[in-house]
Amino acid sequence: MLKKIPKWNLVLFVIIVLEILVFGMMNPRFWNTSILLNSFNDFVPIAIIGFFLTLVVITGGIDISGVSIIGLSSVVTGLLSQTAGLNIWAAVVCAVLTGGLCGLLNGVLIAYARVQAMVITLGGMLLYSGIAIVLVGLSGVSTYEGFTGFPESFGQMANGEILGLPNAVIIFFILFLIAYILLHRTRFGRYLYLTGINQNTAEYAGINTKRVMMTAYVLSGLSAGVAGVVLTSYLGSARSDYGAEYLMPILTVVVLGGTLITGGKGGVVGTALASILLGFMQIGLQMAGVATQYIGLATGVLLIVSVAFLGINPDFRLNVKRIITHKQNGG
Amino acid sequence: MEPMASMANIIKLREFRTFLFLILLFIIVGFMNPDYLSLQNIDKSLKSSLMYMVLAVGMTFVLLTGNLDISVGGTLGLTAAVCGTILRDGGSIFTAVIAAILIGAGIGLINGFGVIKLKISSFIMTLALLSITRVIQVMYTNGKWVENIPAHVKRLSNFEILGINVLTVIVILAVILVQVFLSKSSKGRYYNAIGDNVDGAVSLGIPVKRYIAYSFVISGICAALAGFIFVSQIGFVSTNAGVGMELTVIAACVLGGVSLSGGIGTVVGAALGAIILTSINSALVYMKVPAFWNDTISGSLLIIIVVMDALLAFNANKKAKKLRLNARVLQKEAQD
Repeated sequence: MLKKIPKWNLVLFVIIVLEILVFGMMNPRFWNTSILLNSFNDFVPIAIIGFFLTLVVITGGIDISGVSIIGLSSVVTGLLSQTAGLNIWAAVVCAVLTGGLCGLLNGVLIAYARVQAMVITLGGMLLYSGIAIVLVGLSGVSTYEGFTGFPESFGQMANGEILGLPNAVIIFFILFLIAYILLHRTRFGRYLYLTGINQNTAEYAGINTKRVMMTAYVLSGLSAGVAGVVLTSYLGSARSDYGAEYLMPILTVVVLGGTLITGGKGGVVGTALASILLGFMQIGLQMAGVATQYIGLATGVLLIVSVAFLGINPDFRLNVKRIITHKQNGG
Repeated sequence: MEPMASMANIIKLREFRTFLFLILLFIIVGFMNPDYLSLQNIDKSLKSSLMYMVLAVGMTFVLLTGNLDISVGGTLGLTAAVCGTILRDGGSIFTAVIAAILIGAGIGLINGFGVIKLKISSFIMTLALLSITRVIQVMYTNGKWVENIPAHVKRLSNFEILGINVLTVIVILAVILVQVFLSKSSKGRYYNAIGDNVDGAVSLGIPVKRYIAYSFVISGICAALAGFIFVSQIGFVSTNAGVGMELTVIAACVLGGVSLSGGIGTVVGAALGAIILTSINSALVYMKVPAFWNDTISGSLLIIIVVMDALLAFNANKKAKKLRLNARVLQKEAQD
């Protein structure tokens, strides 16, 4: 059973355990389970996008427009429910679908017009955040406060809890499961890997690689829409600049999770573990008294170290892994 | 016949189309509001695009080799903060520029080291360095703005001879010089060669790794110089100086016809792209369109132009393939 788990995920898991131990020793409040579980709220949008960005990266693409779709979906939720007077849940559905539509535009242009994913999603990033700003500007709401006054039930979506588990944790696992099943348990998932390993071969094998790629971008857009709604529910207001600082952490969780940026290799379990690792690190550093603005330093270093470690000298990596797994078995 | 042929070549150039687009933009906006075509506004548009032009020159080197440099915004912010502090505390302009160049080159070297030695994809490496340089900037300035820049520094960016801004002329001349270096000297062509075909470049004996490192160092130095221009033009350095600039610069390069997969593009095109992106800003003001339309227009423009480019390239490829096939058939028939 143990052999089936990719070793990199085991490494991540060990680091999370170490993190909990070390940060807990610095500040015993860190060992409080409810604080740990509630900290999910802070990184759940990052994780949600990370799961589905993993699918895109596995096909050999990249999607950096998610950070703007968060803001757009948040503004759409606010605009439809507060200004247009639509039922809040209908507005939520529309917001998520807006994200999907953005993803569809990305996907069509990347898969069918064969433009580089980086360029299209860069343009998309400008465009979608631009549309969000325009919507806020036209509706006459203050840019700084955004749309407020959401019903209680909507706020409960991210802030409430079921059976003692914060909803954020539940949302995290639901989306993780969807991504996991899609990637590891369906034919579509296999197609994603094949497309990433060698698109031509996959095409010759009769896979409609263009549609597979497009679907990956649509899923990524939808997930960003969900992330925007969750963030709006958590913070209680809808603003166009939500998510603007998430590019770095989103890519960090995907890459740290062991997904190859060139495509063909990776998985969402790694992404999930990496997002928990990163989220706990932020909380831990904050609790240890490190100012929030310095945390970017830790994230950046972590990103470089993890990619270097994953990319450099496979023998060295294997040795380290062996030592770690040996310890596991011994303990 | 000869001049006609070269004329046709120029029209086919991607940079020419970008230039045409820029002229068209000015004419259309000028049609709606003649003030837009005043020399004063053109001078102002150019002046506000200087920073982006300098950044775009450096970025083009990196893009030509097939890499990406996201860290330029961070480099710009950090060097602007350092320059600003040195100048505020009475240091000379010379010291400030040297310090900026050293920092920029250092960041470029780290990027190059990561990409070449640690084999990290340039996108990831420079993104990480972006967030690191941002934090260092906050640490260096203690999260405060750098203000009270001496007046003689600010005057530097407004220095004029015969009503023409000297800094603008210097930057434009530099862009042209760099272009001549890139397209005429053999060392300059290495950058194109590396991006076009790495294995081919290696076989030709081009020190590929060293030139990729150079490209990051050049990009870092350009970002540092842009940081100095930032201090001189704006006169203060806030903690989020340069935020988001890296993406605008990449967008400018792409608008100007530089390919992100490497090997294609010119510095002149990238500079033109930078002027277009900043001119849209002022065009909106002159057309009395609220400024919040800015990103939407830039974003859709970028997507439209890129998709058009891709379709054109796709058709050209198809045509070339057909030609080659025909030639092969003819050859075979001739042999038979």
